[in-house]
Amino acid sequence: MVSYRSEVVSICRALFRARRHQYPHYNLREYTKRRTLDGFRMNKKLTDQSKVNEAYAEAKAQLVVLERSVKLYSLYPPKTKNIMEF
Amino acid sequence: MASKVISSTIRRTLTKPHGVVFRRHNLSTAAAAAATDYEDESIMMKGVRISGRPLYLDMQATTPIDPRVFDAMNDSGINEYGNPHSRTHLYGWEAENAVEVARIQVAKLIGASPKEIIFMSGATEANNTAVKGVMHFYKDTKKHVITTQTEHKCVLDSCRHLQQEGFEVTYLPVKTDGLVDLEMLREAIRPDTGLVSIMAVNNEIGVVQPMEEIGQICKEHNVPFHTDAAQAIGKIPVDVKKWNIGLMSMSAHKIYGPKGVGALFVRRRPRIRLEPLMNGGGQERGLRSGTAATQQILGFGAACDLAMKEMEYDEKWIKGLQERLLNGIREKLDGVVVNGSMESRYSGNLNLSFAYVEGESLLMGLKEVAVSSGSACTSASLEPSYVLRALGVDEDMAHTSIRFGIGRFTTKEEIDKAVELTVKQVVKLREMSPLYEMVKEGIDIKNIQWSQH
Repeated sequence: MVSYRSEVVSICRALFRARRHQYPHYNLREYTKRRTLDGFRMNKKLTDQSKVNEAYAEAKAQLVVLERSVKLYSLYPPKTKNIMEF
Repeated sequence: MASKVISSTIRRTLTKPHGVVFRRHNLSTAAAAAATDYEDESIMMKGVRISGRPLYLDMQATTPIDPRVFDAMNDSGINEYGNPHSRTHLYGWEAENAVEVARIQVAKLIGASPKEIIFMSGATEANNTAVKGVMHFYKDTKKHVITTQTEHKCVLDSCRHLQQEGFEVTYLPVKTDGLVDLEMLREAIRPDTGLVSIMAVNNEIGVVQPMEEIGQICKEHNVPFHTDAAQAIGKIPVDVKKWNIGLMSMSAHKIYGPKGVGALFVRRRPRIRLEPLMNGGGQERGLRSGTAATQQILGFGAACDLAMKEMEYDEKWIKGLQERLLNGIREKLDGVVVNGSMESRYSGNLNLSFAYVEGESLLMGLKEVAVSSGSACTSASLEPSYVLRALGVDEDMAHTSIRFGIGRFTTKEEIDKAVELTVKQVVKLREMSPLYEMVKEGIDIKNIQWSQH
């Protein structure tokens, strides 16, 4: 049985650690962190291999969208800080 | 060598995580530099100085575009620029495919068939088309429209327009919790009633009407049922078959989609006929002529798709935040009233009234929280909102109402900060208020004989 654990862990790491994967916008940044964490938590207990494959494929697709989106949003950062960032 | 330096600088600046304010490196002392930095970073607009971007708690007015939706719009917007109604070349075919995909996504969210979705420029146009279009089509036999007093302005204004043309309109009153009285609706239906229009989720107070029961009543009397579901789709489960809906207005920018696009669901079995508002080349089944706004429509489809996947997760999160907000405020303040029913409510909308506080001054002090007040839609006049008046709320409580809109991107820290700022402002105003002093001493305000000076 092929275990995707290493790939899953690498995606998780990519989504969190790399500074280039963060939005300059406060709300979007916090949402991305929370949603990815919860997304991985919710799928942690899956045992059916087809479901695992599905979830993995979805995570990969989302990573592509996220990278592209963060690159674009970083080109238009907000001009003043959000009140929450003080 | 120089190019390497340039490219590394660009990479460094482009990957700064925070909101970028390029600080001028002053040669003056640290204190002066700090003061100048503050000046640079604060915002000065309309005579008000705010230290940074306020936290956004006005999700009923509009929502930010979800980055995933924005991403879905970009590729097509750049490359698939053809007119979806051009039948002769690839550009038209591609654009038409994109619009059809979006149509299927919208239809799946509400449980309809894609052939029943007409794309429009927003929920306002959809409401206008539905109300005026249906009544104009059946104007020989049906002369009566039923709606409620808490509807959105566009529905009320369309009904007023119909009244000027000679139709009769019944504006149903609502109970004090904002819900429609089903017996009154049953009695109001006449043989010549052409349309019943009741919104699913109210944008000001957030109450959810008993849609299934209303749909049942309309089915019994064979009257088309129109609902403005702009605040409802993607947030509460919507099923046009279960609710027996004939027409439904939808809006994209309330579900993290782009502004400028919406849709009207027009039932095909049994067929609802209506007269189009926009005449022209017969696009969109003849009901809305004009070139389809491909990029916006794609965004709408993507937003609906996302909403369907995320509905449960968002609902849990938003409910938790609503409880946190309400409990946080109630712990520290008394005299806080929730406008509208607490049981039958969409959790992302919390409309609170604070007793013994003046509304305008409360809003002026809450500049760091972007919220809306009860009289937002009628803010040119100083009258409180007609929705709150229809609920039977006292004038003074209606003036101090604040609508907190919680959404997908709201964080716990934002809610805590909003609680802190609101409580601080209300306490400050109540300390200055002589009325509050009198209430504390036990005097009943309503029975005071004010003397003239």
